[in-house]
Amino acid sequence: MPSVKLKAINKSFGQRQVLQHIDMDVGDGEFVVVVGPSGCGKSTLLRIVAGLESPTSGELWFDDRLVTQVPAHARNIGMVFQNYALYPHMTVFDNLAFGMAARKTAPSEIKHRIDEVAQLLEIEPLLHIRPGALSGGQRQRVAVGRALVRSPFAFLMDEPLSNLDALLRERMRVELRRLHDRMRIPTLYVTHDQTEAMTMADRMVVMRNGRILQLGRPEELYHRPSTVFVAQFLGSPPMNLVSVKVLPDKRVALAGKDPQGIPIPARIREQIGGRNVVWLGFRPERVVPQTHGAVEGLDFTATVHTVETLGARYHVHGTWGESPITWVTTEREGLTGSIKMKLTVPWDRVHWFDAATEERMVSPDRESIPVQVGGTL
Amino acid sequence: MNRRVPLSEDARVNSATGGGLLPWLSWWNAYALRETLVGYGLILPSLLVFLVFYYGPAIFLMYIAFFHWNIFASQSTFVGLHNFSVLIHQPVFWQSLLNTGYYVVLVVPVTTLLALALALLLRETRNLRGGGLSQALVFLPHVTPVVATSIIWVWIFDPTFGLANAVLHFLHLPQLGWLSSVHWALPSVMIYTVWHSVGLYTVLFLAGLSTLPKQVLEAAQMDGVRGWMLFRRIILPLISPITFFVIVLATINTMQTFSQIYTLTGGPHGGAGGPAFSTTTDSLLIYQTAFLYLHFSLSSAMSLVLFALILTLTLVQKLIADRMVFYR
Repeated sequence: MPSVKLKAINKSFGQRQVLQHIDMDVGDGEFVVVVGPSGCGKSTLLRIVAGLESPTSGELWFDDRLVTQVPAHARNIGMVFQNYALYPHMTVFDNLAFGMAARKTAPSEIKHRIDEVAQLLEIEPLLHIRPGALSGGQRQRVAVGRALVRSPFAFLMDEPLSNLDALLRERMRVELRRLHDRMRIPTLYVTHDQTEAMTMADRMVVMRNGRILQLGRPEELYHRPSTVFVAQFLGSPPMNLVSVKVLPDKRVALAGKDPQGIPIPARIREQIGGRNVVWLGFRPERVVPQTHGAVEGLDFTATVHTVETLGARYHVHGTWGESPITWVTTEREGLTGSIKMKLTVPWDRVHWFDAATEERMVSPDRESIPVQVGGTL
Repeated sequence: MNRRVPLSEDARVNSATGGGLLPWLSWWNAYALRETLVGYGLILPSLLVFLVFYYGPAIFLMYIAFFHWNIFASQSTFVGLHNFSVLIHQPVFWQSLLNTGYYVVLVVPVTTLLALALALLLRETRNLRGGGLSQALVFLPHVTPVVATSIIWVWIFDPTFGLANAVLHFLHLPQLGWLSSVHWALPSVMIYTVWHSVGLYTVLFLAGLSTLPKQVLEAAQMDGVRGWMLFRRIILPLISPITFFVIVLATINTMQTFSQIYTLTGGPHGGAGGPAFSTTTDSLLIYQTAFLYLHFSLSSAMSLVLFALILTLTLVQKLIADRMVFYR
């Protein structure tokens, strides 16, 4: 049973269409993350749900209530803004109390609710100081508290962690997720940070240019990206993409050199059909050294250029033919500049995309994994 | 010593070894001295103008307020507080203080509130057609010369042919003598002053309103805070530094009002400040005492009194503001 449902939402600012036919929902107790590059329309989407913007067309439902025309304050939404937007001239207590006071909640009830939330978020010692004296993480918590204290129907968060330093961001990520697991309030969370999206989401939505490219569980999107953009947007380092020619004998070859090409399994050949050029993609962590006959996969020889040390693992940057590629290894031994390495990627870890549409060419034996594809795709 | 050291450290090292050009600069240093000299050199021209035309006369004024000083005589005699005691026994001086107080107490709040209201209105309409034009129209009176527009307002206030009485007639209200009436002359000046100065304060308030953080206003919107409560609890506290600035500026400006009183109440109505001293404010009396009756010492004493009053008022305002103004 979806709690928040967006039906065919369109939004234009003058001539510029920022949202195109958005269909999505946030289920009961679900944490949905909308992720995309800046300017993709994700914040506008959130503001429409909040009631700070109204859609040009389309419907917004909260349970069985049509709220498209309902003003922001009557939607009972808790919103956490990017810069927290705390009332700077009020104490933390008053910040939390203000909304309830505006609704004429009884003072004793206000006090009770604030005490509860303050305890939950561990901000009791801060109640009587002003936001100016708080650290970034504390402000963040107060902002969450202000959204929480009114027992909202849903939570909206607009890049709430982007003003924090890296370490605090990681901690708040876990804290927010834990809070969600306790409260189970439907949450729509907007971010441009794919790590945040992957780690926090029950389901995630990837947006670009005002459209939903793909929505689904983080694993689905990671392992079965529907487009080249999604494939490269998720994951760090991003997926390697190599443009390959399809030879008449249904082998594939890198553009330029490598005339003999690489033989590909029959089922993939079927998928490629009559296409001449396709994108071939593989994740850096799926690249393994060739061990004779052990795995059947995409075998190729790459030249190492630089090695980045991350402690637990190494990111190796090199080239396969002319194409730059990156792979991940835990073994530093023997990795020096300009050596050649024989590598392989198991066939079931290789992604194929149409060169013209940039869409995924679905392999038959994986059709069983359900993938929801949203928008106009 | 090949190590590159900053100039200041260099000077210190040199002086310590006695090898520098200016060994006595060990506690200061050559670089700081140069900085200081260049700095003072740059502000010297304007400082000179200030000293000669502003601080100089001000200090001289403080001097002659305690002397019997005549512009034609080379001798001046010390009279102590004599000038002040003469002032105390002059009814017109008390009248002028009263007029100034009446004027300030009405003009400052009215101008401030009107400016705030106009700024809120202009902010709401800024995106509508003609929004920019309205802003310009509100600000326009302030850029007009006081003397020129005062003469226009003398005509507006003309009891027989003026626009002011025409409007009252149209509204079926009793007509007034305006500048020729003892009761209405000072209010007429107030009306002119509000008209002339409200634009400046409106622009200041507009600037303040434009710095309101957008997301805080949106948070308030989501909290369901609207209308008067939004204004009273969010907007007003957040622009309080601007409000304080406007009130202080308006107070100082109105306490020093001179040109419009001189122009509006002079001319066809005889000497300025009338009728019957009803528009004689402090600054006008200071001017008249000095340049009409040539009692420079007496007028200097008056200036000191006005100065003390403005200073006291500003300090009181500052004290109040420290408790009420919220600085982000």
